[in-house]
Amino acid sequence: MGNDGARDIVKINKGPVVRTKHGTFKLDLPKDHCEVLTHLITELRDSLLNTTDNKSLRRLFPTAYHNDAKKDAEYQRFMREELLASRLASIETALTVIGASNELSESEIDAFARSINSLRLVIGTTLDIAESDYGDPSIESRQFDSHETESDEEKLIQSDLYDYLGWLLEWTVGAQSEGL
Amino acid sequence: MATASVQPSQVLEPDVDDATKSDKPWIVIVWNDPINLMSYVTFVLQKLFGYSLEKATELMLDVHHKGRAVVSNGSRERAEFDVYRLHEHGLWATMEHETL
Repeated sequence: MGNDGARDIVKINKGPVVRTKHGTFKLDLPKDHCEVLTHLITELRDSLLNTTDNKSLRRLFPTAYHNDAKKDAEYQRFMREELLASRLASIETALTVIGASNELSESEIDAFARSINSLRLVIGTTLDIAESDYGDPSIESRQFDSHETESDEEKLIQSDLYDYLGWLLEWTVGAQSEGL
Repeated sequence: MATASVQPSQVLEPDVDDATKSDKPWIVIVWNDPINLMSYVTFVLQKLFGYSLEKATELMLDVHHKGRAVVSNGSRERAEFDVYRLHEHGLWATMEHETL
């Protein structure tokens, strides 16, 4: 499971997600962060709408019956579309609340959190993240390799995005947990 | 319109194993994965099942250290509903008949 140390990645004292005393939420992100998030989430929405078999999206539609293929096929036939619709609905909500100045409801911040987590799952799958990657200095040292190929550079960008999304999700969950 | 006709038909014998299995409750399992944050998994278990922070943390740590944890049980319909909600939140959840 992912490391909870994601907050250490970006040293900011005040979090980007705060729960108000009224039980609503404030999402305070710099404009460039909002632009990146909007771009990524829009890409995810388009992939979900237009791709039928993308390896990096498979993690969003897991097996339900791990030891019974027949039952799982039946489950997927009925539930996959519903799960897709739920993901798309969350994404639409997330796109409207990113950069919004108004306070967010519990369901809006929940949709935001689920969309951020979906993005992490897709990017993490693409990067082939493994449990052993956490705290492995060799992973971090890749950033200082002067012989990077274009593919390596793309991986580093995705790796930075993955870390950023972890940091953002950590703060979001922290704010949500205050209401439990 | 199709007409009814008398045709020899195959009679399906009940599968004894299935009949026995249907009496057993279903369990919902959350599996370890390297991507989901520990705090997120704990929060989702609290939110979906109403577990205390302590119970949700204990289950999350079981997932993390033992590779899996049973987070709910009940009828097949109930288990499918729980699996669906966990999938909605991005957790890797499956269901199976309880073995004991």
